[in-house]
Amino acid sequence: MGTVHARSLDPLPMNGPDFGSHDDADLVEVEPQKKQEILENKDVVVQRVHFEGLGRTKDDLIAHEIGQVFKAKNLIEVMRKSHEAREKLLRLGVFRNVEVLIDTCEGEDALPNGLDVTFEVTELRRLTGSYNTMVGNNEGSMVLGLKLPNLFGRAEKMTFQFSYGTKETSYGLSFFKPQVGNFERNFSVNLYKVTGQFPWSSLRETDRGVSAEINFPIWKTSHTLKWEGVWRELGCLARTASFAIREESGHTLKSSLSHTMVIDSRNTSILPKRGALLKINQELAGYTGGDVSFLKEDFELQLNKQLAWDSVLSTSLWGGMLVPIGDKPSSIADRFYLGGPTSVRGFSMYSIGPQSEGDYLGGEAYWAGGMHLYTPLPFRPGRGGFGDLFRTHFFLNAGNLCNLNYGEGPRAHLRRLAECIRWSYGAGIVLRLGNIARLELNYCIPMGVQSGDRICDGVQFGAGIRFL
Amino acid sequence: MSLVTDAFVSQIAAVEPWPENAALYQPLKSEQVLLSDNASCLAVQAFLKMCNLPVQVVCRANAEYMSPSGKVPFIHVGNQVISELGPIVQFVKAKGHSLSDGLDEVQRAEMKAYMELVNNMLLTAELYIQWCDEATLEEITQPRYSFPYSWPLNYFLVFQRKWEIKRKMKAIGWATKTLEQVFEDVDQCCQALSQRLGTQPYFFNKQPTELDALVFGHLFTILTTQLTNDELQEKVKNYSNLIAFCRRIEQHYFEDHDSSISSSTKLSKGPTLP
Repeated sequence: MGTVHARSLDPLPMNGPDFGSHDDADLVEVEPQKKQEILENKDVVVQRVHFEGLGRTKDDLIAHEIGQVFKAKNLIEVMRKSHEAREKLLRLGVFRNVEVLIDTCEGEDALPNGLDVTFEVTELRRLTGSYNTMVGNNEGSMVLGLKLPNLFGRAEKMTFQFSYGTKETSYGLSFFKPQVGNFERNFSVNLYKVTGQFPWSSLRETDRGVSAEINFPIWKTSHTLKWEGVWRELGCLARTASFAIREESGHTLKSSLSHTMVIDSRNTSILPKRGALLKINQELAGYTGGDVSFLKEDFELQLNKQLAWDSVLSTSLWGGMLVPIGDKPSSIADRFYLGGPTSVRGFSMYSIGPQSEGDYLGGEAYWAGGMHLYTPLPFRPGRGGFGDLFRTHFFLNAGNLCNLNYGEGPRAHLRRLAECIRWSYGAGIVLRLGNIARLELNYCIPMGVQSGDRICDGVQFGAGIRFL
Repeated sequence: MSLVTDAFVSQIAAVEPWPENAALYQPLKSEQVLLSDNASCLAVQAFLKMCNLPVQVVCRANAEYMSPSGKVPFIHVGNQVISELGPIVQFVKAKGHSLSDGLDEVQRAEMKAYMELVNNMLLTAELYIQWCDEATLEEITQPRYSFPYSWPLNYFLVFQRKWEIKRKMKAIGWATKTLEQVFEDVDQCCQALSQRLGTQPYFFNKQPTELDALVFGHLFTILTTQLTNDELQEKVKNYSNLIAFCRRIEQHYFEDHDSSISSSTKLSKGPTLP
């Protein structure tokens, strides 16, 4: 009899083809028993999979996730498949805790090489809530979040977030439903109200919207199809806003269909070491109602290459184009913005391109490219621990944002995008925050500055999720 | 406007003369503008004409939201944006043009009192009829107010505005009034104005003041706007001196200048008095 705790398998590589037996010594603790048997290379059969602690979760949902466990032929495979099943179960966002117990089969119909796999699970509570207060620039707010995980027992999720501030109130309600047995294929509906203040444009925008989206993978790509209906209210942030911004004030209704395709082979989304990302997004507004019509295309490409001494060379290219359909000019809320610590460094936030009395109006076409060399910190302090969250980087960014006259041909467009290129270079320190965000402190030298651009010569601080 | 902005505006304004490209923004004339907004826009137009300050009238569907105070009309002079008659009068005064300089303290106080009367009675009555009378709301206000917007935004915005006005009516105690009582109020207001005017050409004899512009804006709009019924018009028509007053300003300030002022300015005023 041997009891194996698969929990200790956590650090196993997910798809390591060869399992060196020397590894197993660390990972598998076989409790000494009277009748010890070496199961390692023996053929085994998983006879039963038990679940303990199931409440409202439906059987068919988990049956799909653990199906592979039955196909395991030897102990190592059983352990690996159980581990994978555990990961899959945790990903569903249904359980707080999953433990796997592998044991030999007992009972009358037990085969000599039969194994029982037991998943001990703890379900998340029906309702979880959170409460925060935030204090920002001249504003305090209270954020209330409610989550109903596993609403109907098939990994559906309902979340509600409400933020009540001294200036703005916003909320979001979303319902998420994955396909049973195929978590990547999912459907979600959102209802929201958000308010944004954009001081670089002296603009305030309040969006109230409904959106529905379907996510599905095709081969190595993941796709999102989305419909969004949003009521946008634009207004001036201050009395001193330029008249160009004043003219954009008022209500518009946008109804758009969009499609996003992503191929991501990077090892992680923040400070990746290898792999590439390609994201292509297209949005068509106006054909499904509303009073805004345009076609918007944009893409993002990122390539990472590992070099010597743990350094990584990362190159990225962004670009986009907005074509208004009909006689109406594009709205300031739909146009592109460029500049700032997350795109072309050395320039102030979104302060490149067309402007009126110091308020940036955005552009209908843009491109931006960046080249980064990430290296570990000099002398590598805190190596293997805290120090690994930091990187130094040297960068070269370039980009341009302008409006195109769509009467001219593509040759003229390219010429316009190629003239007056803004670029900058510099170096800085990057801090990785979890796996979602990063902070940067850079010394930047902006070049190719055009009149009207606002620069940030010298030290610039940046925080964000998406970086050029 | 706060005292500081006031002081700032007057200082800035005094330096620069009235520019050629001054513009007055108002809602779309034929499809969108409502009775009360039209009255306010016309009052400001009349005031500027009385001051002999040229202004180009620009119609925009989002004029209400472009205005810093959320109310139409507003003027764009140089790089200044000023909305509503009161602040505009002050701004123009800072530029050295005033209609009420010739009045003494008592007259000025009287003028202010009558202007308050017009704003409190006529303007509120117009808002009441537009937003609280179901027939008018359905037949006129709703289609006109929601004209620039597509479904379902048109319903949201009408609902939002209606709710806002109803709340305001409740606050000033008009919510419980019936349409008849409102017409009665209009009648009393007109009676007061008629008595004050008497046989003079303008409220303060020979020279028009901002009160004349305001009264003209409201009465002319009421007289020339077709509503679901004629009752409101009839109330004003009972006072012949007020009709004569409207006709006098119309002829003097709007028709006489036809040759020199572009036809769009004339069109923007709307139909002429019968």
